[in-house]
Amino acid sequence: MEIIVYGTINSVILSLTALGFTLVYSIARMPNFAHGALYITTGYLAWLFMNKFGSLPYPLALALAIGITAAIGALIYRFILIRIRGMEISEIIATYAIGLAILEGLRWGGLRGMTFTLPPFITGSMNIFGVSVDYQRLLIVVAGIGIFATLYLFTHFNKVGLALRGIAQDERAAMMLGIDSDMTAIISLALGSGLAGLAAVMLLPLGNIIVEVGYNVLIFAIAVSVIGGLGSWGGTILASFIIGFAQILTEAFLSSQYQMVVALLAIIITLLIKPSGIFGKQKELEERV
Amino acid sequence: MKNKLSHLLMVVLVVFCMPFTAFAQGKPIVIGAPLATAFLYGWDAERGIKLAVDEINAAGGVNVAGQKRPFKVEVIDTRDLEPSVPVADALLAMEKLILDKQADFIIGGPVRSEAALAAMPLLGKHKKVSILTTGVLTPAYGKAVAENYDKYKYCFRNTSHVPVMMGDFMAILNDLQQKHGFNKAYIMVQDVAHARAGGAYMQKALAGKKWEVEMKIYPTGTTDYSVGLIDSGKKGTQVLFLWMDMPESAALLQQWSNMKLKSLPMGFMNAAEQPGFWKATGGKGEFMIVNLVNGGNAPANITPWTMKFVNAYTKKWGLEPEGYGTSSSYMAVYQLKDAIEKAKTTDSDAVVTALENQDLMGVYGRMRFDKKTHQIIPSWDPKEGAVTGIIQWQAGKRVQVFPLKAAEGKILFPPWMK
Repeated sequence: MEIIVYGTINSVILSLTALGFTLVYSIARMPNFAHGALYITTGYLAWLFMNKFGSLPYPLALALAIGITAAIGALIYRFILIRIRGMEISEIIATYAIGLAILEGLRWGGLRGMTFTLPPFITGSMNIFGVSVDYQRLLIVVAGIGIFATLYLFTHFNKVGLALRGIAQDERAAMMLGIDSDMTAIISLALGSGLAGLAAVMLLPLGNIIVEVGYNVLIFAIAVSVIGGLGSWGGTILASFIIGFAQILTEAFLSSQYQMVVALLAIIITLLIKPSGIFGKQKELEERV
Repeated sequence: MKNKLSHLLMVVLVVFCMPFTAFAQGKPIVIGAPLATAFLYGWDAERGIKLAVDEINAAGGVNVAGQKRPFKVEVIDTRDLEPSVPVADALLAMEKLILDKQADFIIGGPVRSEAALAAMPLLGKHKKVSILTTGVLTPAYGKAVAENYDKYKYCFRNTSHVPVMMGDFMAILNDLQQKHGFNKAYIMVQDVAHARAGGAYMQKALAGKKWEVEMKIYPTGTTDYSVGLIDSGKKGTQVLFLWMDMPESAALLQQWSNMKLKSLPMGFMNAAEQPGFWKATGGKGEFMIVNLVNGGNAPANITPWTMKFVNAYTKKWGLEPEGYGTSSSYMAVYQLKDAIEKAKTTDSDAVVTALENQDLMGVYGRMRFDKKTHQIIPSWDPKEGAVTGIIQWQAGKRVQVFPLKAAEGKILFPPWMK
């Protein structure tokens, strides 16, 4: 039973981790390699607001941190990525360099050690089918479902959301209908960064705010996105569950040290069998040929 | 006017005489400190060294054959605890300290075992006396000195190492076995060389004492230990033995506490060393027993010097000594001062002889180096040798519980174990 319970929790954690990365790619067709850095930035900002700048109440500190991270995402597009949009290699290099600068800048600025933590929203634990689970992890599952549902409603029933979907489906056709491509890219970067921030405030109370987590988050976001298919939301969820359960099964029946190997092995297998991922469409035609 | 002139003359005299009276006046003796400054074992060592240097300089400096000379510290970031940084970078940093910064002596790191072992030939080549004070826990360091004395005689280490630490843990576990009938242990270690080796050593040693033991290895960065912890609970584990140096391991204690597992956590856990651990885990880390490698890395009355050091450190840096590397780095500066004063010179070979013959009551007990291995001589009695600092988190405080002759309290068990 613990495999089902913790497999589900691990899968939701992975999908939350990758959601922002997938959203940006699905709309702006940009791989945001600064995703992990934005994740950690949110955690650190929240910590600063709670502990250094005026000791703000927890919810306000989190909201402010997410808002600032979303704004950083928008600014990254407006001032840097807009100049290289469409040049895929340059996009990767630029976003990775931004992420590296942010993470190493934070380390240089004093984000080191284990004293940077965010408190859990609810402390304590309960038994689910005889398996002890802490409330924070349960909250993550509930919040994960809520975030996915909200995003679905936003992109299907909201004007801005529909515009984002329009750009994602056919950029030229959407532009002919008057949708501003750059503005949607700015919104997608802001939303993606905000989602990275939201994931951070949900997940960081389980551990510490440290620079290395930023790199790990990026690796898992890429793993999930590559396996599910870059830009595919359904693929992201499915891949999260595949990796999430594979990791828990590995820990239970093989050895916990191979958890990261499982994720990387899954990428290699996917690239060998279906390079565009489970639901990916970029190279579908070439794959069929 | 005459009065004003005499005042001015006095001020000039005081200004000119100050360096010759209050402070040491000779050429500074440069201590090079190669440390991974972004990590606990680096920054706490740096603070320990600087505190000792400030104290010594304020007291007049080092008496080198009648001439008072101040210490000067040159710290360089070796970055050797960062996973992607090659050993060669740490060696370059060390060479820069020796050639560019003109370091007379080396105190501190390199911090990672591989880098410290690789730095030994460099120290021999430049004839630089080094006292290793932090990080490195491999017994290979002292063994290398013993096997190739002429080449590595400049290398000393004033901290403990894995076999000694394991012996300390085994003493505690034997006691738990005899007094409480404990015989089931679950080892959880990080997937890095020293932790795997430490875990494997404990697994073998405990199995030899008729314990039922299982070991799990976790990748660096793991924040979810639930499957392993649940498994340990099912197996009726009484002792959770942990060996991890990643900050995320604090999450393990949180999960252990939430699950109310009937086991006592203990081990070598970087995250649980620091005073901030209590706040970081919201008190969930209570009852964790941690090896701080040397005494004095947490408040305790091991020798009359221990609390003097703890209070001075707290006053200067605004927090208690944080963990492994603090008291040993502080002590190494005093050991060096003593050796230079006894040798009456800064000549490396003479200082080596003085260090070999040194017998000093320090912060964590009697400080003597083994003449063959240049390893500090350990003991469970501070009057006989350097004692470890094994503490347990009790009501927000780090309480020294081992060795018994330096203990401030007894080992407590979580209420849900009763």
